[in-house]
Amino acid sequence: MGALLTATGITKYFGGLPALQDVSFDVLQGEIFGIIGPNGAGKSTLLHVISGVVVPTRGRVLLKGRDITGLKPHRICRLGVARVLQTPRPFPSLTALENVAVGAIFGRRDGGSQAWQHAADVLAFLGLQDRAAVAVGKLNLQEKKMIEVARALATGPELLLLDEVMGGLNPTEVEETMHLIRKIRDAYGVAIVWIEHVMRAIMGIAERVMVLNYGEVLALGSPAEVARDPRVVEAYLGKA
Amino acid sequence: MSTTGSWLRYATLPSVGLVLACLPLAILGSALYARLATQMLAYIAYTVAFNLIFGHTRQLFLCLGALAGASAYFSVILTRELGLSPWLTVLLGTALAAALGTLFSYISVRRGLGVIFLGIVTLAFSLMFENLLLGLRDLTRGETGIVTKGLGFGILGERWASYYVFLGLLLLALALYQALVSSKIGLALRALSDDELAAELAGINVVRYKVLAAGVGSALLGVVGACYAYYNGYVNPSIFSLVGVDVVVLVMLLFGGMGTLLGPVLGGAVFTVVNELVRPLGPLNLLVYGALLIVLFLAFREGLVVALRRATGLPLP
Amino acid sequence: MWLIALLIDGIVQGLQFSLLAVGLTLIFGLGGVLNLAHGQFAVIAGMVTALLLDQGLDPVPASAAGVLATGLFGFLVDRSLLLPAYRYSGETRLLLGLLLTLGLSFVIEGFLNYSVPYVALSLHLPWPSVRPLGIPVRTASIVVSLLAILALGALLLFLRRTPLGKAIRSIMQNEVGAALCGIDPARMRTLIFTLGALLAGLVGITQGLFASLGPEMGLELTVFALIVTTVGGVRSIHGTIAAGVLLGIVHAFASFYIGAYVTFIILLATAALTILWRPSGLLGYWT
Ligand SMILES: Nc1ncnc2c1ncn2[C@@H]1O[C@H](COP(=O)(O)OP(=O)(O)O)[C@@H](O)[C@H]1O
Ligand SMILES: [Mg+2]
Repeated sequence: MGALLTATGITKYFGGLPALQDVSFDVLQGEIFGIIGPNGAGKSTLLHVISGVVVPTRGRVLLKGRDITGLKPHRICRLGVARVLQTPRPFPSLTALENVAVGAIFGRRDGGSQAWQHAADVLAFLGLQDRAAVAVGKLNLQEKKMIEVARALATGPELLLLDEVMGGLNPTEVEETMHLIRKIRDAYGVAIVWIEHVMRAIMGIAERVMVLNYGEVLALGSPAEVARDPRVVEAYLGKA
Repeated sequence: MSTTGSWLRYATLPSVGLVLACLPLAILGSALYARLATQMLAYIAYTVAFNLIFGHTRQLFLCLGALAGASAYFSVILTRELGLSPWLTVLLGTALAAALGTLFSYISVRRGLGVIFLGIVTLAFSLMFENLLLGLRDLTRGETGIVTKGLGFGILGERWASYYVFLGLLLLALALYQALVSSKIGLALRALSDDELAAELAGINVVRYKVLAAGVGSALLGVVGACYAYYNGYVNPSIFSLVGVDVVVLVMLLFGGMGTLLGPVLGGAVFTVVNELVRPLGPLNLLVYGALLIVLFLAFREGLVVALRRATGLPLP
Repeated sequence: MWLIALLIDGIVQGLQFSLLAVGLTLIFGLGGVLNLAHGQFAVIAGMVTALLLDQGLDPVPASAAGVLATGLFGFLVDRSLLLPAYRYSGETRLLLGLLLTLGLSFVIEGFLNYSVPYVALSLHLPWPSVRPLGIPVRTASIVVSLLAILALGALLLFLRRTPLGKAIRSIMQNEVGAALCGIDPARMRTLIFTLGALLAGLVGITQGLFASLGPEMGLELTVFALIVTTVGGVRSIHGTIAAGVLLGIVHAFASFYIGAYVTFIILLATAALTILWRPSGLLGYWT
């Protein structure tokens, strides 16, 4: 089966400083693909490049063979790539349901009349149905993050990009979120590229893991392979 | 709650129309009041336009008077020099204003100009426009301006007929506004005025909706500006000056409430009265508007409509 | 001969543009507020000086008092009116700063037009003109140029040589770095705002020397400063200074040959096109 997403030689400079250098990888359909690395390694920037927020200095991003490098984010979203930002940024003046509906109405190619139903379904799937009419400002942080996830899912993606959704969670919540991510993949059949700081979580459910360090790929493989890699142990795990 | 909401949504616009349609009965006969009331309608319409441009999409156009004036002068000059029907040239003027506003918006969104740069560019346009009017004396007659007649059939010629023409325009504008904001476009506008990046990532074509809002708003400025030129009996640069239009409209919108249907109506009505009260103050007039700008922005940024919503518990549109 | 006279006029006027605009640039670079009342500051200095002259004070102390009063006014504005703007960051601060100072400029203009409508500052020197190298030059031009060059030189020395000045430049480049150096950005903002007001005040005096200054000229001065800052680069001090002199010369020649309206339109269009073509300023990369 062909790769869903192929990134080749992604390089990004910010004012002369490299944030990403020659990063190449691919993501298979329905795969959970983990990305780890210390702060400032370039993980968020990589997702920015894939989702079109940042145009890479060099390199290409292909979605099912189609070159999407440099397309505007809303186009990429409609082509089936949804993004959840590191700090949740739901629209504060909309209700929870409206937030999700934005994704369903504008983010899907088949939006139309079904959009509000889609939005309600996604909210229910994430267990937020009784918060639907609540102004988003009244939700707690975890709920806001879930609204972001719901909005992303409502766009009907084939690829979901998650940026550190577990920041600030306690161990039980981490456990629940791990479970949820698998559930999302199984129910929606999406591939998930997932950045996380919590090692245990990512090693637990990602099928493959890529380690970034100073903008470069340090290792890429199954969690077990990566965990054994001496460079990773030295650069990252060793310190912990 | 939600039934009151939808009831209010449908009832507000007709109520506004009814109240404004009856206004002439209350101030029967007085030529001064007729003029003020008509002027008020024009300013409310300007404010509705600015609400789309700034209230919903945060594009700081400091050229409202200049866009209205560009349309007005274009129309009046075409009619005078080429003998075209004013009906046609009002449309041409409107198209000019829409094109200019669309252009400013498109360039600024594509180039990622922030509020400062868009502010400077549009301010520069305002001042260029004013100097152009003063410089091209042969065409514009400089500060004196050009005398205009109504649109024929007594339209924009007679006192109360003009009032109802402007009322019709305003109600159309308000209806268009309401249709826009309660459609999917309105959802996009609300989302992108909260957070452009998040909106873009959720699939909203931010450029398209911002440019659309600016274009529609500018067209409205244009049509009202041109009609005002014929109603007023003459056009001159001071009718469309930065201080005379932009600052007043900004204050009206801030006071009434950005992003609301009733905000421009209430703000426009209140400040038409305030404007008359401070007129005898002469130069202090400007001081009052400056102080209002500051106070409103510091202490009353949510505006009257939101305050009323909170006080009455009603979801006023 | 009149070409040289035009050139000199242009340079002198340009130096004043530089002086006014450099304050605008500094305040914007450091505080993120585009001060739309900047020209009014110059007018305040001029009016205070004119009133003191009326009271029989000598020109030099009167001018000094006018400039200092403007500095104090700037200090107070920064510590009161702008505090709410400083509480925000990013676009909100820019917008709030823009509208608050716009409001302030109307308040000042309205107040001055009401209270001193017929006062104008027009300072006269004992010798109207001198003839260095046989060319007749107005003494006022020389004095104004000297004052402006001294002030700009002192400013540049301060920014280059003193630790505080270097810190200010580093904040203008990027605020994070400066926060790491342990500098208090709020104090620096106040300092720069006051300094900008003092410079604007000086322009009020030199304008009174060079031509005359009335209470209605504030907005026009602000717009000239805005044009210069935009063309020079809103983050570039050297660019702003250079743009001031350059546009001063353009202004003098164009006004002479093609008239005031067209000149003003050309300057405005230059500023607008600069933003569209190269928002960091035409001269922004000189430094
Ligand atoms: N817009 C930007 N401008 C300049 N530098 C940036 C920008 N975005 C990210 N960077 C820099 O790129 C590097 C990688 O950042 P990021 O991708 O956020 O790392 P991570 O998500 O792995 O913590 C950092 O050094 C950061 O400072
Ligand atoms: Mg990150």
